[in-house]
Amino acid sequence: MAVQSWIDVLKSSKKTALIHDGKRKIHYLFIDGKEMAEEYDLKTDELIVRKWRHKSTLGAQGQWQVEVGDPLVVPVPSLDSDVIKENCSNPVFTRKDTKTSFQWRIRNLPYPKDVFSVSVEPSERCIIIKTSNKKYYKKFSVVDLDRSQLALDSSALSFTHTNNTLIVSYKKPKEILILEEELLKELKKLKGTGEGDVDCKTQ
Amino acid sequence: MATTKVPEVRDITRIERIGAHSHIRGLGLDDALEPRQVSQGMVGQLASRRAAGVILEMIKDGHIAGRAVLIAGQPGTGKTAIAMGFFFREETEIIEGEVVEIQIDRPATGTGAKVGKLTLKTTEMETVYDLGNKMIDSLSKEKVQAGDVITIDKATGKISKLGRSFTRARDYDAMGAQTQFVQCPEGELQKRKEVVHTVSLHEIDVINSRTQGFLALFSGDTGEIKSEVREQINAKVCEWREEGKAEIIPGVGPTNTIRGTNYQSPHGIPIDLLDRLLIIATSPYTEKETRQILKIRCEEEDVELSEEAHTVLTRIGMETSLRYAIQLISTAGLVCRKRKGTEVQVEDIKRVYSLFLDEARSSQYMKEYQDSFLFNETQSGQMDTS
Repeated sequence: MAVQSWIDVLKSSKKTALIHDGKRKIHYLFIDGKEMAEEYDLKTDELIVRKWRHKSTLGAQGQWQVEVGDPLVVPVPSLDSDVIKENCSNPVFTRKDTKTSFQWRIRNLPYPKDVFSVSVEPSERCIIIKTSNKKYYKKFSVVDLDRSQLALDSSALSFTHTNNTLIVSYKKPKEILILEEELLKELKKLKGTGEGDVDCKTQ
Repeated sequence: MATTKVPEVRDITRIERIGAHSHIRGLGLDDALEPRQVSQGMVGQLASRRAAGVILEMIKDGHIAGRAVLIAGQPGTGKTAIAMGFFFREETEIIEGEVVEIQIDRPATGTGAKVGKLTLKTTEMETVYDLGNKMIDSLSKEKVQAGDVITIDKATGKISKLGRSFTRARDYDAMGAQTQFVQCPEGELQKRKEVVHTVSLHEIDVINSRTQGFLALFSGDTGEIKSEVREQINAKVCEWREEGKAEIIPGVGPTNTIRGTNYQSPHGIPIDLLDRLLIIATSPYTEKETRQILKIRCEEEDVELSEEAHTVLTRIGMETSLRYAIQLISTAGLVCRKRKGTEVQVEDIKRVYSLFLDEARSSQYMKEYQDSFLFNETQSGQMDTS
């Protein structure tokens, strides 16, 4: 049911496609004014980036919020900037999906694997990463499942730890796999502007 | 031997007063701006809510500049409630944790930028932050030290001290009597918090007038908002936001009717100004709506009401005023708790009705005894001459 409604929302949105840099870039404009941008690898059809942008209550343009992919490269603030920010040695949390599973990578975690425990909290609809040495804690939800209102399943969850990186994987349920396949078919039908400069109409 | 007294732990969450309109969450409109009968704390007043919704859309589209809105209606018909519907809710990111370590490096030459690091922790994790110059200054201004529990608004850098961590209660530190002890926060360091914010033109004017002052007369400022003034306003608004006391209805200030002038005009507003306003009218509530509002208020104030008591209260609300009936909810709730009851009965309502006067009864009382009060010479004087 709910899966269907999300597909309908996607279908009803205004889509613009662009093929550039070996990536298929799609921009969605939803009826409520939200924007979503996705980038797929042309060869493997893997999702590389997905980000969202909302308008604030007063109608001002918001910032892009990255859901999948590397965080946006912010122009490096000068050293004596006034604000507070995380030190670069802190863990960095990113999501990077594969064809068959959602995957989250947390870099900069130089602790042995048995320190970590990853669990599903079905009542709060989120996944929790804990460390026994009390260095890292993260609670996050699987937005794809939330959108389609699918339940979380602890058996689909697994994690590994290599090169100071904790990789948490969650196997995509078949509803999601079907949805993504259908969406991809739809996207390939979109006529995107090809490589190179878009020709500008001049007078 | 004197035993060290462990101070009591206070919860970080503040107890807040239940305001008269705290149950209002929005205008209760659907996407097509059609009002729903009961939604987001709003009951009835469909036409006025729809009108307010249209204005809200105009604000969002930026078409409201230079306009004012007047909400008119009898007392207690929901004017303030509609104005509350204009409040904006937004999420901001805050960092809340216990300070583990502050490290500030000052350049040996004495000049140049300071570099600082701040380590914060919760019961589950810890994070190291890089500090900018402004943050270092405000940290030292707030006298933040290891063991304090603080919150930082990530966008603005505003720091507030919640208290000292309970784990430090037995430290042999000199501390003031006012030192509060709090538990170390749990879970993630960064949290998203919803804030309600609004700014009224009046407050902008106040800031504006202070910066320019009388010198503006000489400098020939035309009253346009200069960039530095704008910055100050932004800073001020941010400050209000963090303090959680933000109260703004963009361009729509709840202005009360002016009384006591010699000029008579509708709403006490000059007619030419009135002509330039958008006017929303509210009409009195029906009995059913009054009942519904009282029910919402009971939920808001955590008071259980029996069916009969609800009916009695609705009648009081219809015959006296809705405000009075709402006042009675909390007082009756207290009386009920005093007699260790769980549900407010008719007796409790009766008791508070006899304890507290409504407007009509209090003015009646005043009329009865007005001769015994001070400043009634004019009347008695008149009586003498006649």
